[in-house]
Amino acid sequence: MNQRGKSILLMSTALLLGACGNGGEDNASKSDEVSVWVQYSEESAEGQVMAESVKEFNETNDLGVTAVVEYIPRSGSGGGYEDKINAALTTNSLPDVITLDGPNTAAYANSKTIQPLDDYVKVSEDFLPSIIEQGTYNDELYSIGYSESGVGFFYNKPMLEEAGIELDSLPTVDDPWTWDEFNTLLETLNTYYDKPVLNMGFDDQSEWLLYAFSPFVWSAGGDITNEDGTEAVGYFDSEESVEAFDFIQNLVEKGYSTITPVDKGFHTGEYPLYMSGSWTVQELDNEYKDIDYGIMPYPVSPDTNELVSPTGSWAYGMTSSTEKPEEAGALIEFLTSEQELYDMSMGNAVLPARQSVADRMLKEVGEPMQVLIEQNSKTGKARPTLINYPQVSRSFQEAVTESTYFEQNQDIKALLESKAEEIQNNLK
Amino acid sequence: MKSIKGIFRGNTGLKLKKGNSMNNTSFKENMTGYMFLLPSLIVLGLFLFIPAIMSLYYSLTDYYMLTPNLTKFIGLDNFKSLLSDVQFRKSIVNVFQFVIFIMPIQVGTALGLALLVNKSRRGTLFYKVAYFSPVVMSLVVVSVLWLYLLNPSSGLLNEVLQTFGIPAQPFLSSPNQAMYVIIFVSAWQGAGYQMLIFLAGLQNIPEEVYEASTIDGANKWQQLINITLPMLKPTSLLILTTTLIDAFKLVIQPMVMTQGGPLNSTLTPVYYIFRTGFTDRQIGFASALTVMYGGMIIIFTIIQRKFVGEDTND
Amino acid sequence: MTNKTTTILYHFLSILLAILFIFPLVWMVVSSTKQEAAIYSDMGSFEAFLPSMKISDWLIPYKEIFSRFNIIRYLANSIFYAASVTIGSIIVNSLAGYAFATVKFKGKKILFAVMIASLVIPGETIMITKFVVTEKLGILNTPLAVILPMVATPLYIYMFTIFFRAISTELQEAAMLEGASKLKIYWKIMLPMSKPAIATVGTLSFIMSWNDYIWPLMVMTKSEMYPLQVAITNINNTQPVYMNQVMAILTISTIPLILIYVFFQKHLVQGLSSSGTGVK
Repeated sequence: MNQRGKSILLMSTALLLGACGNGGEDNASKSDEVSVWVQYSEESAEGQVMAESVKEFNETNDLGVTAVVEYIPRSGSGGGYEDKINAALTTNSLPDVITLDGPNTAAYANSKTIQPLDDYVKVSEDFLPSIIEQGTYNDELYSIGYSESGVGFFYNKPMLEEAGIELDSLPTVDDPWTWDEFNTLLETLNTYYDKPVLNMGFDDQSEWLLYAFSPFVWSAGGDITNEDGTEAVGYFDSEESVEAFDFIQNLVEKGYSTITPVDKGFHTGEYPLYMSGSWTVQELDNEYKDIDYGIMPYPVSPDTNELVSPTGSWAYGMTSSTEKPEEAGALIEFLTSEQELYDMSMGNAVLPARQSVADRMLKEVGEPMQVLIEQNSKTGKARPTLINYPQVSRSFQEAVTESTYFEQNQDIKALLESKAEEIQNNLK
Repeated sequence: MKSIKGIFRGNTGLKLKKGNSMNNTSFKENMTGYMFLLPSLIVLGLFLFIPAIMSLYYSLTDYYMLTPNLTKFIGLDNFKSLLSDVQFRKSIVNVFQFVIFIMPIQVGTALGLALLVNKSRRGTLFYKVAYFSPVVMSLVVVSVLWLYLLNPSSGLLNEVLQTFGIPAQPFLSSPNQAMYVIIFVSAWQGAGYQMLIFLAGLQNIPEEVYEASTIDGANKWQQLINITLPMLKPTSLLILTTTLIDAFKLVIQPMVMTQGGPLNSTLTPVYYIFRTGFTDRQIGFASALTVMYGGMIIIFTIIQRKFVGEDTND
Repeated sequence: MTNKTTTILYHFLSILLAILFIFPLVWMVVSSTKQEAAIYSDMGSFEAFLPSMKISDWLIPYKEIFSRFNIIRYLANSIFYAASVTIGSIIVNSLAGYAFATVKFKGKKILFAVMIASLVIPGETIMITKFVVTEKLGILNTPLAVILPMVATPLYIYMFTIFFRAISTELQEAAMLEGASKLKIYWKIMLPMSKPAIATVGTLSFIMSWNDYIWPLMVMTKSEMYPLQVAITNINNTQPVYMNQVMAILTISTIPLILIYVFFQKHLVQGLSSSGTGVK
């Protein structure tokens, strides 16, 4: 190589290195700024409400602080956004306020990623019990959910009537059906249509399986762990839990539901029944206007008659590394105030996190949404706050999936015993 | 001064011409090699080797994702516990099933497609785009469609089977069949990638060689066996090596289509590593799994290369 | 068998295969012109592969996503990142491939072995540590953080090595005798003669960069710097997910990839003369 060639190469490397050196931007926020990371994009419905809210906070707060939001849209199960949080932990560059998925509260609190809110945020009695439950770890409140979610059983009115079901006889939140009554409905529909009639999302082998199926266990009086989250053996494999899984298994074994549902089967009139959440209301109302539907609440265990429904949402938390807890607290308090939560829930068509917002929304939304809101505020239960929640959830999910393979898993008791063991190993 | 330098240079030149063997590599030649490598070595060093070495270190620690500052050195504890990890073992068995089938299917398909579109004729560009299109398709589209076609109760595939009198199959919902479906879809989606590389290899075979053999009376088949395939050997080795490694790293298809199920029948090692590291936040343990598994793949790659033959290296 | 029947047979087989491979692409484009309900009700019949009957409806999903997202901005970002990565990747990787293929230097065998061994590292598992390095370099929030890590890839170095080795040595030696430097030989002889390799690495680098989502998200905090993938993820994960909008954004994101592939195939691979290429 001649001199010129060498120098060109040297120069290009120097350029490369030089380019690495500069551009170092200091990430530390200015003294009157409170930084917030959220898991959605600025263009989403949530993002637009957020942008408005923050603008209002910046104009009205009397601490003289400016909140700055960074929008970091997540993929499927939190990926992307959570990777970013994890990376920021290694380089000590977390913002003052973050959003987190409710079940992460325990892990974040235990690792001191977030700190208790009680000293900085006045928490109103108005919040739904499930929101407080979800955000509480070791008796202290670490996160506040800004919306709620819930699940109900969507039914196709004409399809039910065609099979000879009186719509007036269907259950309500105050007068739910027992599993036996629910099974009778399924039997009728199954006989009439001669195929599976209920899509429960068994093919979605993810958090859905714990989120939507744990209420059956709770309704039966069973549980995943004890109250302190230290024992699973004796709880997850209790007689009550076995009953709930028997009920679930029976749905597949009898052919009422299927482990391989057709995508959007309810939307296109394939299934008369669909277990799903509030987002389906939006889909049906916007894109499938021909489907005439209603929602009924969860069926309950005949032994307890107790209606339990799933809840959970993303929440605000304050990082331990923040140097402005007062200001961050003020922001969280503002963002979870009644008016802001109302805007968030209405703008986004999700369930409200506060009772007063629920009361207000009940007057403004359609009948199906009313059922979900009512079921949520009266019967919602939060998922357990456990440090190793992902592992516990996976064991639960596997228990549901395995029970639906009924030929291989006739012995539910044995199945739950092995899963209880697994869960126990992940409790600290 | 000037003259001394001149003499010195002259000497080196002479030496080179005379020797022309490996151990006579001159300082200048060495420097030239490093210069050309420098940009890539810097980038790879920063963004691949340093991070990989850090992971190597993490495999000896109890690094928990949310508490990076409390990380402790724990020696070989992670490796001890992974030896008795049932799920990891299961995932390795699964991936071997995948590798054994995917290698001949995908590489064979890719070569076939490449030969089909190699000669420029009318329509070749369209065929090339068609065969390559699954590579650029989003897995969202691909999996939605295949899940529909493969739906046991209403999918098109079962309807076709039943018209031929074959009973409906459970496909992805069966622990026995799910992996074969993943193999099929992966080969279908990936073949275009290797086709592209085969094509580049085919372009490198000079036309004269074929012309000469046509004069000698060789037919197309003989040309394929005697010219094309032998001359594709370096490309084939490249493809076999990278396809093997990629096959061992299978993760996206099971993640999207089966989430590792049913009953863990499509759980692969990299999926398991990903889950342990990112979902369960056990970076230390996940790093140990990576080190262990990476070592395994390297060994298999070496065996394969010995089996197929080394690159024609100088 | 006559020449004509061979041709017909060839096209028949090719078209059958083409259908097997291209049907998702057709379905995606077609579905992006429909109402969501129509996508699902057409499923299972041949109509799934026909566009909406009302041509005036075709652009509705596109209008919706253009009003929701600043698509032009994201597209421009993606094109900038992918084009930079492609050019950088061709230069950096081919330089290294050239060294491995034609230059004799100490430690070459070991370096090459390390390069191939590093193919086994699953990219996801080193993401956090990669982030730490990027932060230390001080290039967070700059385009460099997205582009730089992608310009060197062991696989493409390996590819260039293989293809450079196939180029005849006589030509290089002749150039050497005329006093050309190694760099000049690389630039004037090797690169022009390895168009298929450039086309391959170029196509693959572009696709790799284009589809990257998590890494850009990690190293950037300003949404105006995000690539298109971020918008895709958003549409695909914000409940309710509207399949027609998903298909519309995916169509927008897939077309450039097809175009880049056609571009490289047309201009660099076809019409390559055989003159001068030889095999060792």
